[in-house]
Amino acid sequence: MADTSKEQAIGELLLQLSDASPVACREVEQVLPVIRPHGAEVTFAWVMACRTLLDYDREAGRAFIRGSREAEKVSEIVLQWTEQALQFALWRNTRRALEGFMANLPRAYGSLGHAGQRRWAEIGFLWCERQVESGCAYFTTPVVDLSGRQGITGIEQVTQPAEELFETRKLLLATYLAGAIRVRNLLGPRAILPWATRGADIMQTARARGEAYFRLESEESLALLLEQLPGFRLAERNRLLSMLLDVWYGHGFELKESSWSPEKGRPFVETDGRGMYFPAVMPGRDEAVLSALHAAGHMRFGTFDRLAMKELFGEAGVDFPEPGPVSWAPLYARYSDDALRFQLIFDLCEDLRVDCRIQQLVPNYLQRLLAAARSGARHPETGVYYGLAVRSIEQSLAAARNGGVRDDRFAPLLRSAATVADAWRIAAAIYSKDDLPRVSDLEAFHAAYLPGRGPNVTRLVHPQQRQDQRQQTQSGAEGEREPQEQGEEESEAPQNAENGDQQDGGKQQEITGISESSDASAQAAGRSGERRQTDAGGEKGVPYPEWDYRESRYKRNWSWVQEKKLAESNITETHRLMNQYAMALKRLKKAIQAQKPTRLAPRLRQLDGEDMDLNAVVSYVVEKQAGRSPKPAIYRRREMRQREIAVTLLADMSTSIMQHLPEGGGRLVDRVRAGVLLFAESMEEVGDAYSIAGFCSKYRDHVSYYAIKDFDEPLSHEVRSQIGGMSGRLATRMGAAIRHATAGFEDIESRRRLLLILSDGRPEDYDDGGDRRYLHEDTRMAVKEAVAKGVHPFCITVDTMANQYLPQIFGRGHYLVLDHINSLPNKLPEIYFRLRR
Amino acid sequence: MKTAVNRLRGIERDIVQAPQPGDAVPYYEPQSNEIAVFEAAYKKRLPVMLKGPTGCGKTRFLEYMAFQLKRPLVTVSCHEDLTSSDLVGRFLLEGAETVWQDGPLTRAVKVGAICYLDEIVEARTDSTVVIHSLTDHRRKLTIEKKGQEIEAHEDFMLVISYNPGYQTVLKDLKPSTKQRFIAIHFDFPAEDIERKIVINEAPGIGPETAYQLVAAGRKARLLKDHGLEEASSTRALVYAANMINAGLDPVAACQVAMVNPITDDEELAEALMEVVQAHFGA
Repeated sequence: MADTSKEQAIGELLLQLSDASPVACREVEQVLPVIRPHGAEVTFAWVMACRTLLDYDREAGRAFIRGSREAEKVSEIVLQWTEQALQFALWRNTRRALEGFMANLPRAYGSLGHAGQRRWAEIGFLWCERQVESGCAYFTTPVVDLSGRQGITGIEQVTQPAEELFETRKLLLATYLAGAIRVRNLLGPRAILPWATRGADIMQTARARGEAYFRLESEESLALLLEQLPGFRLAERNRLLSMLLDVWYGHGFELKESSWSPEKGRPFVETDGRGMYFPAVMPGRDEAVLSALHAAGHMRFGTFDRLAMKELFGEAGVDFPEPGPVSWAPLYARYSDDALRFQLIFDLCEDLRVDCRIQQLVPNYLQRLLAAARSGARHPETGVYYGLAVRSIEQSLAAARNGGVRDDRFAPLLRSAATVADAWRIAAAIYSKDDLPRVSDLEAFHAAYLPGRGPNVTRLVHPQQRQDQRQQTQSGAEGEREPQEQGEEESEAPQNAENGDQQDGGKQQEITGISESSDASAQAAGRSGERRQTDAGGEKGVPYPEWDYRESRYKRNWSWVQEKKLAESNITETHRLMNQYAMALKRLKKAIQAQKPTRLAPRLRQLDGEDMDLNAVVSYVVEKQAGRSPKPAIYRRREMRQREIAVTLLADMSTSIMQHLPEGGGRLVDRVRAGVLLFAESMEEVGDAYSIAGFCSKYRDHVSYYAIKDFDEPLSHEVRSQIGGMSGRLATRMGAAIRHATAGFEDIESRRRLLLILSDGRPEDYDDGGDRRYLHEDTRMAVKEAVAKGVHPFCITVDTMANQYLPQIFGRGHYLVLDHINSLPNKLPEIYFRLRR
Repeated sequence: MKTAVNRLRGIERDIVQAPQPGDAVPYYEPQSNEIAVFEAAYKKRLPVMLKGPTGCGKTRFLEYMAFQLKRPLVTVSCHEDLTSSDLVGRFLLEGAETVWQDGPLTRAVKVGAICYLDEIVEARTDSTVVIHSLTDHRRKLTIEKKGQEIEAHEDFMLVISYNPGYQTVLKDLKPSTKQRFIAIHFDFPAEDIERKIVINEAPGIGPETAYQLVAAGRKARLLKDHGLEEASSTRALVYAANMINAGLDPVAACQVAMVNPITDDEELAEALMEVVQAHFGA
């Protein structure tokens, strides 16, 4: 009986509905047959819910009605989700949330089960309660994304940190959710909380910044992610790769960090024909090494060879743009939406050609590639390409063994005379046969590449002349120095000369350096009253001659050196560096202490002292007996020897040290400061006399020589903070600085005097008229003069091109090119110890 | 024969030993004209300086030359505490008497041996001065403590070795010392010669393995600019070959003989191992 009364009630409800909205009523009637089998009571409840929701919000109600059919089909129940849907009517503006809820219902039941669905809904309601917008964000996010295919636990992993942060920092799910899901997918659930906590903190200080952070758009967010991303990091392993490239290719390549970030998909090493761009993180070491070798192979074996590229462009009927960087895009234009397919085929051919050439250079390269490729995953859509690439390598290996090629399509590529144009022709031929599937999905496209390979044409390229390449390996920096076209995101770092805004900064610093009247000097308050510049020849400074190679004579009183104190000091920076390098310093000190016994060996055979020197006594007695009259030098003294070595560390403080490191992680000057600081600290441990100075110049009459620490000055707080305040300005007139530093040794009674010059580029000044040789020759003469005065100059440089000019200036074996700037802080003291041995 | 027995027993021998007729010829593979140069220098009794990196065959070359010239070879490895008495000699007490004992250099001067001062820059500068009078037309050794001067035996010859490198900036020989010598420059031998050496010094090594070993060693040397103080020497290659002969896996053998000894830098070792693994296809 109850059923009939319910039926009546349903009928009434439907009538009311059709009065209110005939359209909605029609929709309800369409779904009703699906609901009816659950009984009259359930049907009544459902129709009631339809009405309540329609009353609440017309669109929300219709979304409920429309979603019901599918929800019933998957869940095979009605009441549970109907009641859940009714909850939305408790809050305002939940229409979008309800729409999302209804859209997600089938998936929720399908993938989470009934219990899971209930939990999923509960979490959402909790957020609706807190803030409707967060609830919306939650329910509109597809369940699969939320759960990450982990079921309800996956959802809880994502929402749990938000619960905590809502309690402590009032972080809302709406801000957090999308980013958190991506972080979870990239780094796993554990990474969410630290990432979000950081974000919440930022959010509290600056809302816009915080939002950008959570959208993974801000620098710091990406940096934090990259830091936690597992894999092979370029910044840390850069040295290994450059060593390997050096070994196999005989010279270094420029390694830079690309703008890749985790959500851009699979990381690839790219090249533009001039430098290599590394993603911050590669999945594994093997892949990174293969990629580096492969990308270098493209450069070495003519993928960017100008003639071959011209031929290729001619083949494709596209004008070759000249001069300047070349884009590959026009080549693919005619393939329009099938471009990805063609690109895969072309890359496959070109990569095979290059890899076969690399094999001749790097033994077992193909075998290694093959081993990595076999263990790689294949994408269902593009596995065919992957398989074809693997097969082509296997066949070329077999061909190398037996001399025959089975798949003759690739045979021409295995010849060493093959060029990129051949690869293009063969790719076009394969493409026209049309037996490879189309590619539309970017992820699938990326997955088609073997480990170590990657899309070859992502960047504008700089075509290379073969002649150039040969020169580069030997001597010519000239090819490099051609007017630079601006690439996509690179800008040539300023080398010592004036360049843009840094120059201005340099000028300002210079002014404070001279006048010492600005407030910068207030920072350096408490400096000792010592004013060396007064006794160093007045305002104009000390004159030194300069060598003019064109006339083969010295120009008298040509360069003027002003000695001054560094105006800037920055003790915070010093403390930061001390913290950062605490471990390194500890290691260094340990190493020094281990050396100490031999270094502080007592002086033997002294005429007086606190102890007998047994060996001396024996030989004294023996010689006495033999009838000779030896000197009674039979004592040993436990005193430090008269200073054996004195060393001056002379740092190049030109503008160029202000440049950012190409692979990121700060500026060159940070490493310089750290290096000088570690040097000073370890020198304290050693006990050798040392001084520290920096220099820069602007024209011949303004060579600034910043005496940071004098030989007899202790390593004080003030000296330390000055090291922290070192910065770059102006240019590098090295000869004058060397002469001045040499003069500084005059009063030092040491048998060995070492002048360590820390540099990052060639000697240059604004008034050298572009004649590089002039200051080179002058510096060479200054070095010669120093040697004649018993001072050994030794140059440590971080300029990788330095091999081209340092041998002439300092002589073989009197300089060292650091292969990586990050090694400078640790290397500097080490080099000194090696030198003083 | 006699030397073979001595080797077995570890018998004490005097440092001055002329090659005996039955002795085995030391193995040496000429790299360029060094034999002719040395013979000419010997003919005129001019002192010789051997320059070159560690383990490239300087000492072996000298052993070979001493054998060919049938002269005894006296080797002194110099170190920083080496004094001139260690070279020239000193008084010793014997009972109530004092006895003069000749140092190795004095003995070589007297018997006409080839005296080889290995790594001369390591020695104190005052001890290098004693050789000055031996290296010019005077050919005399002054023994200050005895107030004597010894005329060198007509067959006496002085040879020093010297490893130029940036670690010796402060320890360079004085130009006045340097220019008294005929200098022969050594470097690691050419690839085919090095292969020959490895096969000869580690008999039983397969030609293929020797090929890979030498190729890997030569590539590894390219890392010298990256912080290696000493490159993998020919000697290290021979050691590696011997380890392989003794049954060790080639990659492991290279690691223990060519990588581990020359660097403590993990990254550098990693790069070296990459080179080794590439050549042995592991």
